[in-house]
Amino acid sequence: MVYAPMTTVYLDNAATTPLAEPVREALAPFLGEEFGNPSSRHALGVRAAEALTRARTQVARALGGQATEVAFTSGGTEANNMAVLGAARARKKQGAQILLGATEHPSVRAAGEALSAEGFEVQTIPLDETGNLDLQVAEALLTPETVVVAQMLVNNEVGTIYPVAKLARLARKYSPQVHMHTDAVQGLGKLALDLDQLGVDSCSVSAHKVHGLKGTGALVTRPGTRLQPLIFGGGQQGGVRPGTENVVGAVAFGAAAQMADDRCEQTYEHAAGLRAQLDNGLKTLSGISLLEAGTERMPSICSLLVPGAPAEVWQHHLEARGIFVSVGSACQSNDSSVSPALLALGLDAERARRVLRLSFSALTTSEEVQIALDALESLAPELEGLS
Amino acid sequence: MPSAQPSPTELGEPDLILVRYGELALKKGNRGEFEKALVRNLRQALASTTKAEVDRQHGRIFIRPERRCEKAAKRAAEVFGVKTVSPAWTVASDTEAITAQAAKLLESALAARGQSEPVSFRVRVRRANKAFPLNSSELERHVAERILPGPDTVRVQLVNPEMTLGIEVRDRNTFLFLDRIEGNGGLPVGTLGRALCLLSGGIDSPVASWLAMKRGLHMGYVSFHSAPYIGEGFRRKVREVVRNLGRWQYKAPLFTVPFADIQVAIRDQTPERYRTVLYRRMMQRIAERLATAENCGALVTGECLGQVASQTLENLTCIEAATSLPVLRPVLTYDKEEIIQIARRIGTFDISIQPEPDCCTVFQPNRPVIRGRVEDCLAAEAQMDVEGLMQRALDGTEMELLDHEGGA
Repeated sequence: MVYAPMTTVYLDNAATTPLAEPVREALAPFLGEEFGNPSSRHALGVRAAEALTRARTQVARALGGQATEVAFTSGGTEANNMAVLGAARARKKQGAQILLGATEHPSVRAAGEALSAEGFEVQTIPLDETGNLDLQVAEALLTPETVVVAQMLVNNEVGTIYPVAKLARLARKYSPQVHMHTDAVQGLGKLALDLDQLGVDSCSVSAHKVHGLKGTGALVTRPGTRLQPLIFGGGQQGGVRPGTENVVGAVAFGAAAQMADDRCEQTYEHAAGLRAQLDNGLKTLSGISLLEAGTERMPSICSLLVPGAPAEVWQHHLEARGIFVSVGSACQSNDSSVSPALLALGLDAERARRVLRLSFSALTTSEEVQIALDALESLAPELEGLS
Repeated sequence: MPSAQPSPTELGEPDLILVRYGELALKKGNRGEFEKALVRNLRQALASTTKAEVDRQHGRIFIRPERRCEKAAKRAAEVFGVKTVSPAWTVASDTEAITAQAAKLLESALAARGQSEPVSFRVRVRRANKAFPLNSSELERHVAERILPGPDTVRVQLVNPEMTLGIEVRDRNTFLFLDRIEGNGGLPVGTLGRALCLLSGGIDSPVASWLAMKRGLHMGYVSFHSAPYIGEGFRRKVREVVRNLGRWQYKAPLFTVPFADIQVAIRDQTPERYRTVLYRRMMQRIAERLATAENCGALVTGECLGQVASQTLENLTCIEAATSLPVLRPVLTYDKEEIIQIARRIGTFDISIQPEPDCCTVFQPNRPVIRGRVEDCLAAEAQMDVEGLMQRALDGTEMELLDHEGGA
């Protein structure tokens, strides 16, 4: 095409991240000679089983340490399904109320819909007008019948960090038997995660958001957590998620999780610097503003409100300059497909179509943010007048 | 009607597919050419199913697939120009062998049918081997008398029976069959020349292309891409449509024309109400240039009278006036429901409804003209550098050859 970008500036790290070189090195033997089935009793199998155990330990460590169980899954979606469906179905006798956060990932919302069809009463914990979790409403909704509460840790569109630990304490106060779940997919590698400090029973994480492979995630649980499995098979992973394990994916996830966890403070600070740079740069650019939702925010996820043309047009113009970002809602989508998370934040459909998301990783550089700022500046005269 | 297909466990797979073609026979002048094209198209179509030999003899095409005879027969029936196909069993041209095989065929067909009312039945013989000891009606009677189980299961009925056992006697071999799979009809793709289809990304244009192919046209495709207002997802969707249409025409060229600069010029330099009509006039002009270079004798569009405000007789006249090539509009008079029905049948519907718009909202007029006038179009275009815009778009046009298998 006419538009052949010379370099690539990747600012869509909340969608996925590139594979890190040390991760590639760690997984390489498992694409070659280490092809054993971890359930086999011969040496090849035993080595695969040991690799799996090491990976499990690494992921557990990133979630706060020893006293956890790690079930590898096909990704965040499966982990969320396992937790929400599995915990609710295992507690059918204790109660039928489910509380879900207002901005949950589709894999949590859709699991809620499935439970609702099974007779559970599914309710939503709303956000207040500042984008914070409305804990007062949550408290009013909680009853002794509440069996599952699921609240994401970091909003994937605007970066709000939600007070999961506070919510967990409240939930246990009203319903001692409750299963508290958090989707921490956007938190891993930027926040020091700890299952105990979060006060949750289960936590979903995904490898490809922290420079691992797509197709691998994990559900990390407290020992003894009751979950009804979603699939049945040969008893691997304690029966909670049977099937021959994805050893390559798990090994890569282990390496990636350890790296992400070791560097999480630096990554957070690095992202905070990039966000400040972006914020400063935007101050001189009239018309484009940073969406600020909630008191605590993850600096690696920055959503901009752009003027004139819909965000999707900005996105493709940036793409023509080699800059990859994402949009909150597609250009010609109907109202029903506007991101529910953005609607929950009080944005109307029209404004939701103006949300452009830039998201950073540990590998994002200040030069890249500057390139994006320069591009936004040069595009503004052309695009801000369009509607 | 219940399937008369015998279960393969008792009878074995058929080993041959008989292909009958209809209309071709009417085109006396170039019948040979049509048949050759049909054989060629059948070979290409079957390549995705199995290795097969395709031969032409005495007004029939015979396919000998290496494997998957039933599937190959269904695939062959899709090829334009095919009237019906029958999976068949080959035996030696010998009265006893024919009768024995006929008995097996009928037995397994009745078994597959299960217990029910007696089925009306006849044997129909076609005899190309005039040296065969029995003539057609003698052989029909001979076979029927020996294989019919009794009036409570099978009742002979010569006109419109539910089940017909076909027997074609050739010099050395004889073919027996029960099924006739209805083909798509039409004419072999390529026998009526070439045309260029303007693909919009909507539901209508793939259906228009399919109907044009059905009447023997070989298609090329052109799509207009408004990058950077529209993303790469649109191109992926168009490619998917073209590859899907490759079921009927194995390989097709797709031209992608960069169109944003033209849309910007029209938006900025012409009356807002005329935008849509003017976009389309530019598309037709560019398509005409590509068509001429590709030896295409016509343009094909998915335009449909009155379907949207811009598709009035007046607007279609304005659009058509931009080209001197004939513009074929196979779905012009179809209702949306009729178009959707075909789109579902040919597998393009699910691709077409993917949310990848072909035109960015920033270019859409608020109140498009309903009854455009050619004079107004010409006056508006006088404000623009039509030739220069066209030339730049053509310079940036990319061509790719897409085939059904997926590899370009």
